[in-house]
Amino acid sequence: METSSLVPSFVVFHVGTRRVALSRDCVAELIASPLLFSFPHTTPLITGVVLRRGRIVPVLDLGPGLLGVPSPAARFFLVVERHISNNSERCAIPVQGECELVAGIMFPATGQEEFVSGHLDLNEDQIDVLDLEKAIAAGANYRREPIMAGNLS
Amino acid sequence: MTQQASSILMPRDTRPREQVAVFSIGQYSFVISAASIQEIRSTDSLGGTVVELDRPVLRKVRHTVERDGRSYYVVSGYEHFHLPLCRPTTVLILRHAPVAVLVDRIEEMAEMRVLLSLPHSFRGEECIWYRGLTVLNRKVLPVANSQGFLTAEELQQLEMKNPPLLHTVAAPGKDRGRG
Repeated sequence: METSSLVPSFVVFHVGTRRVALSRDCVAELIASPLLFSFPHTTPLITGVVLRRGRIVPVLDLGPGLLGVPSPAARFFLVVERHISNNSERCAIPVQGECELVAGIMFPATGQEEFVSGHLDLNEDQIDVLDLEKAIAAGANYRREPIMAGNLS
Repeated sequence: MTQQASSILMPRDTRPREQVAVFSIGQYSFVISAASIQEIRSTDSLGGTVVELDRPVLRKVRHTVERDGRSYYVVSGYEHFHLPLCRPTTVLILRHAPVAVLVDRIEEMAEMRVLLSLPHSFRGEECIWYRGLTVLNRKVLPVANSQGFLTAEELQQLEMKNPPLLHTVAAPGKDRGRG
């Protein structure tokens, strides 16, 4: 086996203004922004669903967790595999700009953000590698629109 | 009844089809099983049969309406789905729940060929509101759960605070069928 195949790969992308990375293993594909269907719901971060190869794929905006605000409109969606309880499910993450596939060594996280599992040194830039589930959890308290109380008492 | 499928559309769908009504509330469209609707009326035609609740315990329920000797809790579709308030013009009187839902209008009657489960990423109130998702005219639409407009807990709350209704409103769980 070649040495290079032992070096892990990462997909580097932008969420809003922030450049971050995910392990290549959890990324399924990068797709041009498809038609987004939205309907009322109360789950934070979900902006709607898209139809992809006959599947319903929820769209999750990482902006609130990473930046504190929703991401701007995206031209591309990164389709990732989530593991929720005993189920795995594909979700689409809106990304801005271009994505890169890079091989590199992940160094331990040094910051305070729980959703950063480490960082890559890439051309003298330090790129945070995300723990996807923790990044989603970080935005869990964010609501895109105010939700009215359903109970008067 | 349309059987629940996974989130994958089958290329050759031989499953039973289901008649549905497509209704709108605000800018959103929803699907509901036609079998779960007893009657569709305009709000203007309900008139004197509407009674204001003495003790409204839920923001979305402020009135009851009587039809054919039965009372139904009038649920505001706007409040139920947390949408900005507007003036509804149509009421869906449900068959298997003591519920009449205020909506904007009926868009069409259609045939639903597939019911896709709500993705696991959804974990809010929508898991009660919807039976799943469907695709009609190349649009993904949520399929409303007729039992989800008022949960058993909410019905109990309403009936406890408004005792006289116990005699006129159908008991929760009784005569309940598909959504």
